[in-house]
Amino acid sequence: MSLIDAFSSPNRQYGHINAVLICLSVGMLSAAWLLGVVSVAPNRIVAGTSYGLVTAIGWPGALLVSLLFVAVGGLAIKPSRLHYCAQLCIVTLTLLLMPFGLMVAGHWLIDPTLPQARLGIGAGYWVALFLLLLCLVELRLRLELSRLWTTLLLSSVGAAWLVCAALWLDNLALVQEFQARDKQFYRAMLQHVVLVSIAVSVSVVVGLILAMLMRRYQRLQRVAFALLNFLQTIPSLALFGLLLAPLAWLAANVPFLAQLGVSGIGTTPALIALIAYSLLPMVRNTYIALDEVDSNTLEAAKAMGMRPRQRFWQVRFPLALPILLEGVRITAVQAIGLTAVAALIGAGGLGTFIFQGLGQAAMDMVLLGALPILVLALIVDAGLGALADALRPGGHE
Amino acid sequence: MKRDGDRENLLMTAGPRWLWPVGWALMLLVGVWAMPVLEPGFRWLEPDARQVIYSRADFVSLLARHVFVVGIAAVVTISVGVLAGIAVTRQWGRDFLPLIGQLASLGQTFPPVAVLALAVPVLGFGTLPIIVALMLYGLLPVVRNTLAGLHDVDASLKQAALAMGMTSWQVLTRVELPLATPVILAGIRTSVTINIATAALGATVGASNLGDPIIAGIVNGNMAYVLQGALLIAFLALTVDSLFNALQQQLQIRLSAP
Repeated sequence: MSLIDAFSSPNRQYGHINAVLICLSVGMLSAAWLLGVVSVAPNRIVAGTSYGLVTAIGWPGALLVSLLFVAVGGLAIKPSRLHYCAQLCIVTLTLLLMPFGLMVAGHWLIDPTLPQARLGIGAGYWVALFLLLLCLVELRLRLELSRLWTTLLLSSVGAAWLVCAALWLDNLALVQEFQARDKQFYRAMLQHVVLVSIAVSVSVVVGLILAMLMRRYQRLQRVAFALLNFLQTIPSLALFGLLLAPLAWLAANVPFLAQLGVSGIGTTPALIALIAYSLLPMVRNTYIALDEVDSNTLEAAKAMGMRPRQRFWQVRFPLALPILLEGVRITAVQAIGLTAVAALIGAGGLGTFIFQGLGQAAMDMVLLGALPILVLALIVDAGLGALADALRPGGHE
Repeated sequence: MKRDGDRENLLMTAGPRWLWPVGWALMLLVGVWAMPVLEPGFRWLEPDARQVIYSRADFVSLLARHVFVVGIAAVVTISVGVLAGIAVTRQWGRDFLPLIGQLASLGQTFPPVAVLALAVPVLGFGTLPIIVALMLYGLLPVVRNTLAGLHDVDASLKQAALAMGMTSWQVLTRVELPLATPVILAGIRTSVTINIATAALGATVGASNLGDPIIAGIVNGNMAYVLQGALLIAFLALTVDSLFNALQQQLQIRLSAP
């Protein structure tokens, strides 16, 4: 399904040195030692002072971290299944230990007499985290673990992080930012999910109808695809803008529509634009999905005496479902990102934090908006991908 | 016989192919230079506003900055992306292929806004973070399509080329790359299209470009500004996209020509 499945496997025989993990290990070591790991700021606006690994968690901690990173690289010199498993354990352990590093740093660096003081996560920390996740991806590929295993592993690590953040990481800037507006955060999260769900479900229904009509009328197919392609080309900010002006005019001059809730700024233009963008991937995938069903199978269904309606709902549709779900996945992931932009025109959602944070130069608030969006996109992507895999006739790939 | 007919057809369609990009580019240029002429129209939209034509910077320089940012990002993206794609498909770089392939397809999941927002805390406000964010994000489609394009080249063709005595460099430049070009070009098109849209969002992080009138319009409640910015960005995107479309068709004709 993903691109990688298309490639023949790389050198899978063990014993051949694994340059990838060694590079990642060197990268993590240099990120941890050369870049600032954490930063401390007296309040939310002032840029923090950045601290290196040794000042943040002391020599014992720094040596432990280096040992873990070196072990990942060292085991890759002579790879074997056992070594890969050991590396997987080390990487997971490191991921679990990372929030504790923040706790130690917070304990040492934050002056308890300053209630506004906060601990920021530095570039070195982010880079090391990113490289660790890459290690995980690489190990998953080498060990040929299923998607489910990695998802379970990552969600347990995520849960551990959340527990740490909730219980002990009070002086972390991100946590403080969240605590200052937790109700707002949940509401924005809900708004985001609702907007995405409405856009995706409308486009699924419209997409299915449109694709079925296209199969009947060839001319419609060409016109509709040209139109949807055209819409997709227009940048999101511009499409939102182009909808704002006419809708504002309508709301101002047609009182009936204003009563219905149509207005220039807000949810209406956002939803229209979201649905317009969602239609192209949806219609394209639905059309291809319905079109690609094996004609022999349909022939067999006909020969068995199935009526056209039965053939569609009992044969064509179930067989098309995996590719159709692929369309839903692409659409949903795209809509999650676009809804963030919609915050600019007052539609709410997590994007609000991004743009408010940018406006106030409060970077932790930007993170509070951007990170959940990223996680949301990854979860939806993994969930719908797994569902499509499960529905594939003949089981998994 | 059939082939001659085909060629005739191709000649017939050769003209209109370039009509779309030229048309959109004309619209863009007219929009950039002649926006003040349209003042009565915008006045009708915003009768109460003090000013209806965005004037904090002239549209020409806004357009120039937009194109500059996207252009720099595109040059870096294309060169690094294609080189990386080539490197991991060679024998010596094959170890990295699974990771890079996975990363390129996983990265498509990251919303561009989130990438832009995450770049700011690290790199600060202004034009530089946008260029970096655009480069990082734009890399993924290019790498992905380079890998897919090179992978799709028939293995027996490569073998035949080797058997003819070509060096592996010649196989790459004369067989693999020409055959993979359409797919790579499609990746570049995706990358540049996304980047034009994302660059417009850069107006919120202090880069001045065509996104500026839209943001200023939303903040001040002036729909005329919003419309001006939106129209120009849309024209720019359509110009570039139709240009790539024409290029792709041209390429297809060249590849299928005898």
